[in-house]
Amino acid sequence: MFLEVSNLNVYYGMVQVLWDVSFKVEEREMVTIIGSNGAGKTTTLLTISGVLKPKSGKIFFKNEEITNLPSHEISKRGISLVPEGRRLFPNLTVTENLLMGAYNQRAREQRFETLKEVFELFPRLEERKKQVARTLSGGEAQMLAIARSLMSKPSLLMLDEPSLGLAPVLVEEVFEAIKNLKERGTTILLVEQNVAKGLEIADRGYILENGKITLEGRGKDLLKSEKVRKAYLAI
Amino acid sequence: MSLELFIQNLINGTLLGFVYSLVALGLALQFGVMDIINFGHGEFVMVAMYLTFWISLFLAIPGSATVVLTAPIFFVFGIIIYKLVIDKVIEAQPLSQIAVTIGLLILLRNFALAAWHAEPKGLQYQVLVGGFKVGDYVISISRLATAIVSLVVLIVLHLILTKTYFGIAIRATSDDKVAAALLGVNVKKMYTLVFGLGCAIIAIAASFIMTFQQVEPMSGMTWGLLSWVIVAMGGLGGLSGVLAAGLIVGIAQGIEITFWDPRASLAIVYLLFILLLWFKPKGLFGKR
Repeated sequence: MFLEVSNLNVYYGMVQVLWDVSFKVEEREMVTIIGSNGAGKTTTLLTISGVLKPKSGKIFFKNEEITNLPSHEISKRGISLVPEGRRLFPNLTVTENLLMGAYNQRAREQRFETLKEVFELFPRLEERKKQVARTLSGGEAQMLAIARSLMSKPSLLMLDEPSLGLAPVLVEEVFEAIKNLKERGTTILLVEQNVAKGLEIADRGYILENGKITLEGRGKDLLKSEKVRKAYLAI
Repeated sequence: MSLELFIQNLINGTLLGFVYSLVALGLALQFGVMDIINFGHGEFVMVAMYLTFWISLFLAIPGSATVVLTAPIFFVFGIIIYKLVIDKVIEAQPLSQIAVTIGLLILLRNFALAAWHAEPKGLQYQVLVGGFKVGDYVISISRLATAIVSLVVLIVLHLILTKTYFGIAIRATSDDKVAAALLGVNVKKMYTLVFGLGCAIIAIAASFIMTFQQVEPMSGMTWGLLSWVIVAMGGLGGLSGVLAAGLIVGIAQGIEITFWDPRASLAIVYLLFILLLWFKPKGLFGKR
């Protein structure tokens, strides 16, 4: 099993945010977790990344248990998160941000080749490479956040609301970039509020409601399901 | 009062300003990366000055040469203090952090008072002595050497922070430690190294300060106060901010000494600081 999350229970203080959350991602698959604001999507990704610790439950990656490992150890094993709000390093240049992406020993040796590939994928970033990140526009910043994750040569790329706060034309651009990555064989776990878009490009999807997985299925099937259409697509 | 005296004091103030920057640099680095104010900073300087004194005495080497020992010793000292004390409060609320580092201040100061008594100690072995004349003005060799060393350390640190992977990771951690950890930076290890590095810089400064000053158990207070003002004034502007703030403080003291009582020079520094807070509340280079 590539990524397996089983019976995850996560609390913020006394408040339980995730209830027995279980799901899987196969290699080269693109899975999306959709749900409304506050459903626990970000919490799920932060727990996989080791930023939050679960009260109970287990996370396996490539058949190795990674529950409770510190973030930098999880990153070393090939899981990369593009966090909500991007979390770029605002005072570092575009190139420095990208080099930080390749901080892992494994990625570091090939950092200059990877940098070239990433610039081919996102030519805008090459034009801006000496600019500090805080001067980038929203779309450029999102591209940089994704590109920075790619620099780590991840086996699993997790994206937290990559379309959040972007103008519609930029949303298209970001989803194009994600589709492109998928075609190149990257395994992707995508969290989205943009339900239609998310389900459209994903192989499989899970619906997260109030911290519980309530529905799962193929992306296309979920798009057609009565429940999803009513609750998320307002049709 | 003469113009010559004014210019002489200006020269001295400028040279002193470089040292101030260097002393504040260790604090600025630690604060910038770890978001913790070490209230024991001045006492670290004082202990490093004593260390210089004792090493110089026992090995019979000049104070300036002790730096090859004091810097590494203080690097290790910093790592030990981090592991034993700072690490325990790094995620605690600011109040606990303040209490703990003030505890360090009192511990070190009282230890110094008990162990070394109140009388000031100065170096026995010196090579950086005397001065030379430029026109009508005297330039002290020890102060000039200290200023040059300060500038060199600042430049070297700047190069480390901008040109090396380690340095870029330090700046990244300072910007966003969670994002850095997500990319594989071991943040606790980074903190440990940065605290050690800051302490090594303190030791370099202290060893050179000893070439023109004596040390006594209360010496730390002045250095602590000056460093906090300098970091508050220029800290957010990075290294150039620290350098500029250090020079401003040094020059302001030079001017004050010319026109008024030298004993009031610290008061002038604080007056300047309060004025700055009125007009530029985010410091000289505040961006955030």
